[in-house]
Amino acid sequence: MPLSYRPWLIGFFLAVIYSLPLSQVAVEASHGEWPQALDVFRQTPTAANLRSFERDTEHASAAVAFVRPWVQSLRFELFRDPGEKTTLGSGGWLFYKPDVQYLVEPCRLDSVPENSPVRAIVRFRDQLASRSIGLLVIPMPAKPSVYPDRLAARSLPGGSLGWTHTQELLELLGRAGVETVDLRDSLVLWRGQSAGYLKRDTHWSAAAARKAAELVAARILASDPGIVGSTEYLTRPVSIDRRGDLVRMLEAPSLERTLPAEPVECDQVYAKRTGELYTDDPHSPVLVLGDSYLRMYQTDEPNAAGFIAHLARELRTSLTSIVNDGGASTLVRRQLARSPDLLAGKRLVIWEFVERDIRFGAEGWQDVPLPAVQASSPASGGKLR
Amino acid sequence: MVFSSHIFLFYFLPAVLLIYYLLPRGRNVFLTLVSYVFYGWWQPWFVVLMMFSTGLDYLCGGIISRPGAGSRVRRMALVAAILGDLGLLAFFKYYTFTAENLNRLASLLGGSGHGFLPVFAVALPIGISFYTFESMSYTIDVYRGIVKPARSLSDLSCFISLFPHLVAGPIVRYNIIAEQLEHREHTVEKFTEGVALFILGFAKKILLANPMGSVADAVFNANAPYALDAWVGVIAYAFQIYFDFSAYSDMAIGLARMFGFIIPKNFATPYVSESITEFWRRWHISLSTWLRDYLYIPLGGNQRSPRRTYFNLGLVMLLGGLWHGANWTFLAWGAYHGSLLATERWCGKKSLYSWLPRPGRVAVTFVLVLISWALFRSPDISHALSYLGCMFGWTAASGPAALLSSEIYTPHHLAILAICACLSFWRYEVYDFVIELNWSKALVLAPLFLLAIAAMFTQSFNPFLYFQF
Repeated sequence: MPLSYRPWLIGFFLAVIYSLPLSQVAVEASHGEWPQALDVFRQTPTAANLRSFERDTEHASAAVAFVRPWVQSLRFELFRDPGEKTTLGSGGWLFYKPDVQYLVEPCRLDSVPENSPVRAIVRFRDQLASRSIGLLVIPMPAKPSVYPDRLAARSLPGGSLGWTHTQELLELLGRAGVETVDLRDSLVLWRGQSAGYLKRDTHWSAAAARKAAELVAARILASDPGIVGSTEYLTRPVSIDRRGDLVRMLEAPSLERTLPAEPVECDQVYAKRTGELYTDDPHSPVLVLGDSYLRMYQTDEPNAAGFIAHLARELRTSLTSIVNDGGASTLVRRQLARSPDLLAGKRLVIWEFVERDIRFGAEGWQDVPLPAVQASSPASGGKLR
Repeated sequence: MVFSSHIFLFYFLPAVLLIYYLLPRGRNVFLTLVSYVFYGWWQPWFVVLMMFSTGLDYLCGGIISRPGAGSRVRRMALVAAILGDLGLLAFFKYYTFTAENLNRLASLLGGSGHGFLPVFAVALPIGISFYTFESMSYTIDVYRGIVKPARSLSDLSCFISLFPHLVAGPIVRYNIIAEQLEHREHTVEKFTEGVALFILGFAKKILLANPMGSVADAVFNANAPYALDAWVGVIAYAFQIYFDFSAYSDMAIGLARMFGFIIPKNFATPYVSESITEFWRRWHISLSTWLRDYLYIPLGGNQRSPRRTYFNLGLVMLLGGLWHGANWTFLAWGAYHGSLLATERWCGKKSLYSWLPRPGRVAVTFVLVLISWALFRSPDISHALSYLGCMFGWTAASGPAALLSSEIYTPHHLAILAICACLSFWRYEVYDFVIELNWSKALVLAPLFLLAIAAMFTQSFNPFLYFQF
């Protein structure tokens, strides 16, 4: 066996393991920065500080930042592997992995009382009822619930997933007397007529948002026709191109360039009298709480074409809204608790949250106390009538 | 610190290698210090525990080997060391489990079930089972006269804390390391083999074990998967645990060689075994030989009645199961393997299916091992039973479980599954690859290392299964 390959292999190994930290120091020095690796000597060596140092070192690595997009691209091109955050369905459809996990994995709705969605929702309903405000809860079906056939290799009975944790939650809320709207079956039906969800985005299409708003409005008007206002809204068609959030999650800019943006047909809502695009009104009798599903087409491009605008159009009244991306389980109620004036004059609160938040909601399902009722608050009914 | 991490590969290892080879002397002390840094990286105060365990065994070893020490004193020192080591293990690893189960039992017997034993969360020091067994074996071997006592506390500390084998083995005996602590050669050949073993282990871990782990996690975390998916899940787990654990051992052995130490191999293509008895000769060899030498043989081994042999086998495997963790699933796993070993012993060290042709024997053994992995991987017994029910079609699959196919049957996972199957059933280990290194092998290793590093940069899922033990 010739001796020469040994120094070569050792040299190669050492070159690799030394070149990365040395090049990192060079990059940092070129930016006039102190070597980040030396931060470890500046902190007390607690487990938390060491973990944080380890994370920071990896995140700051120029080599990782340079190599990762290439590898992600290659994995996608060679193996159709969309990375750790997304799942690839048939026909190039992308899904957000936690949406799939939520449906597939067990979820004990009442396992931790302090973090129980049922308890938090019922408590919120009671808080609102004490102010004579009704509550309508909408667990938003995530993409895999509406397009299970794009993910499942097996045929599904009736094309549906059947009983899921969301159905269980809806049943428990129904038993507790909480008013709910289940959009899943309707969205599954509608997807035959128009795109319910975007191919490479976590969220729904503008058409689905509009149809959902119509369904919710019909449900509200059937119970409380008096809520309807007098503002007339009209719509006008607008086309936008949307680059899906799931494409960004592939973390490969080269893929982002090759996967085209999706054209989305929207209906922008404007006031017939003024011709101005729909805007919220803090004095509306209806408050809408929710997450990024409500942001889509509403405050995002093209504006005033999302669920909120279309619900306002159906109810003929502008709405108040608080939207918190990914935080509809607890954070959005905290925002409300910080602005309790928004509850003044309200008859109804609509609370939307994506179904995966039942399990993965940011900060769980905490009880959020609302400030005490003020004497001047109007009393117009505690239930969705 | 994990071997397959950015911080280890690009900061810790280069710094330690550089300083180690620059030092003219005091290398063992240096290795001990950096091993404490390596270990303390998880939780600095864990180092104190290890120092206590080392100090106790050094003291007891000294008493046992003191000239003129009476047999009673020697025995008492041995018992003190064993009680000290096992006491640490018992408290940190088994206290919560014992308290919870005793409280439950008290409740079943009519008590309140609360407060019989207070239950509190005890942080499990990483790798405590490994270093406790190593330090215990030192004292026992000194008592038995197999090894001389350590020359100094520093030598024993270096043996126990040596970072390559510290947290996930192989479980090294003092007699293997003692002489090397005194004198070991640092050669280019040894370093090259170390590099080769490290690269192969690193690649196995990043390119094979981690993708298989994500498949196994997806299926085991699912609510009532379909039968086919459940089988694929448990096969993925079998590959994950093998390529993960054996990769760690390869990297450990490789790193040790870079520092001049030779430590024995821990795996020998276990999935080609034709019986469970053979499987245990090939799987986690350092644990099975430890259990044999320090438990099975002292219990009488096979030197008494056949019934006693079956009992010994069962007990050893039960305790071997418990060694992995404080959970009924590990006990069930140990009991399952113990009964299979006892059955094969009853059949004259042959399997019940020894009449099958070799591929059949390998296949049946693999299926028996898969069943045991279902127990081992499940978080609790009810999950294990439900999972086995899914595998054998006794439990109906849930509707949403149909979505699992998108996670499992991706081209990437299927390709890795096929590669794992080929490597697992091929009687060729990384040690065989390293024995006769040459240019062509070196030219395979180089891109493999770069590929594994590139893959590591994209993986956030990077656990080592055996750290928890």
